Amino acid sequence: MISERLKIIAGQAPLPTDMLTRAELIEFADAHHVLGQMAVAWHGRVKGKLVEVFENAILRTEFDHRMLEFELNRLERALGGSDITPVVLKGGAYVATNIKASYGRRVSDLDILVPVVQLAETEKLLRHYGWENDAATDNAYDQNYYRKYMHELSPLRHVKRKSILDVHHALVPKTSRVRIQTEKMIESAVLIEDRKLKTFEAVDVFIHAAVHAFADGSFDTPTRSLLELNYLLQDLDVEQQGRLGFRARTLGAEMPIATALWMLSTTMADLHAKEILESEKLKPANCLVRWALIRKLEHAEGLAMAKFMLFIRSHYLRMPYTLLAAHLLRKIFRKGLALKAKGFRTES
Amino acid sequence: MEFQSLSVFSPKKVRDALRQGRLEMALGPFSMRLQGADKSLTSFLLDVYRDAPVRLCLEDVTDVTIHVRAPNFLRKYIRRQVIPDPGFIVPAVPLPPTLAPLALEMGLNLSVALKCCRFTTFHAAVVGSDKGCILISANSGGGKSTLASALMEEGYRLFSDEFGLLDHGNTVLHPYPRPVSLKGQSIQIVKNFAGVEWMSKTLSGTPKGDIAYRRARASDIASANQPLPAKLILFPSFQEGATSTTKEISKPEALMKLIPSSTNYHLLGEPAFTSLVRMVSGARAYEITYGSTAESLRITTELAEGTDL
Repeated sequence: MISERLKIIAGQAPLPTDMLTRAELIEFADAHHVLGQMAVAWHGRVKGKLVEVFENAILRTEFDHRMLEFELNRLERALGGSDITPVVLKGGAYVATNIKASYGRRVSDLDILVPVVQLAETEKLLRHYGWENDAATDNAYDQNYYRKYMHELSPLRHVKRKSILDVHHALVPKTSRVRIQTEKMIESAVLIEDRKLKTFEAVDVFIHAAVHAFADGSFDTPTRSLLELNYLLQDLDVEQQGRLGFRARTLGAEMPIATALWMLSTTMADLHAKEILESEKLKPANCLVRWALIRKLEHAEGLAMAKFMLFIRSHYLRMPYTLLAAHLLRKIFRKGLALKAKGFRTES
Repeated sequence: MEFQSLSVFSPKKVRDALRQGRLEMALGPFSMRLQGADKSLTSFLLDVYRDAPVRLCLEDVTDVTIHVRAPNFLRKYIRRQVIPDPGFIVPAVPLPPTLAPLALEMGLNLSVALKCCRFTTFHAAVVGSDKGCILISANSGGGKSTLASALMEEGYRLFSDEFGLLDHGNTVLHPYPRPVSLKGQSIQIVKNFAGVEWMSKTLSGTPKGDIAYRRARASDIASANQPLPAKLILFPSFQEGATSTTKEISKPEALMKLIPSSTNYHLLGEPAFTSLVRMVSGARAYEITYGSTAESLRITTELAEGTDL
């Protein structure tokens, strides 16, 4: 059962004694990009080959963090002369503020958020300093689609360093069913020490992670997301935990927050999560969605069905039906063309 | 359970362990968990890795796991194919099941190159005397495997024909004595001097042409936990019919030539740079050109004598 796996990865339950099970757990953690986090959680508590396996994983994530620090520095330089102080999101912010969720975490792309009124200037400056449209979305359809419907610019790739930067002006697409009041979150964002960059305040950091996992996309990195939410919640003090429910309602993030708390209490037996969920009477996603989320996390029976449901749900959340139909047709058509170009070669 | 050489186990036991993914092999600093159901894989291991220390029940986690498996459900049964699955996504060309050994070797190389970052790894052949190592850095087709095999005949220990594994602590190179992979014409050349009994069956029709493996000797494997510093660094290039040349190069030049051959230099940064500088400082480096294996062997042994190896 993966609920147990998650707790073991977080260092909250003992390692399996059967070596094949243990080896498979390590491989699972590696494949889900949380081996570095597991290594940190278990630091000093293991012996034998695991010491070396964990050492490799830590070295790998240290590289990620160095690269990310460098990108943050280049971003500061690019926006240096302007009034723009972007909010760094997700992994980038965790690393920049050195919180528990960053320890041993794999990070690659950098995500930032700017107020919509500063978007044009941000884009101009970034392009001036070498960020360009990523080739994958550098076409008329995608460009138009991103500008018209999305909450971010199409991914920008730096011409020299090849790193990806996502510039957001909201946390969910313009057409999303879940409306999140991004402006309020930007308003209460705080400066990161010694940097010309901001991060959300702690409560909002948790809220954004929950929105990202449960109100946008199809829960594609289940293990990683839950571990992250677990650590972020642990970082909240009593006062902050007390504000969580109210803040979620104010921002329109009740469903994702409730779902996150429900998942944490169900899969990781997180008592704080359970307590907040009950005392605030927050309502998580419906039981069908919850079933699918658990299945996807646990790789259990019904996985294919769960994946399909969450895929449909991600699109349902993201856009109205008519737009969805047009978009999916386009996607299928494009995929068909791509397959044809590859001569129907099948590789997994 | 202690590690024992693979040859003490019955083929059936080995096959069962491979099927269930509980064959653990230890070579030098790395342990490997191997899984696969193809007959060709079992017979390859029993032949080429006969002296390698293994356990048939997993007693610890491993550095590397390779599952040689079908690329998808369909290819498990119809027009069967295999790919190496090291647990992360690799651009592997599906191979026919008879080439499962090649899939295994490719998978192992990829895993060591990309996962094992507690050493600075670089693409090179390494052999050693009792005093130090000769590191042979060349591109594919540069003749490093042939030269390494020839040096084995001269009494050198085989460290690896694929990887230099540089320890950050004391700047020594670790042995990883997997079989030497030989391609095309070099198969016959090595067969001639090593003897046919040391060679695997030739795998023909691979994406890289004919491939055969020269087994590591029991003595290479027995000394696999004795690392040594590099004393001689060679950058050979083979040119058909060329007259031999030897040119000593400066240490910075040698460093700059080694860096691009590393698979994790960029990832490790400072410790990799520092250890490479220390390694190069303690060795002499030469570019050599030659037209035959006999010539390369002559040049190398001369240089080795000059470097007190």
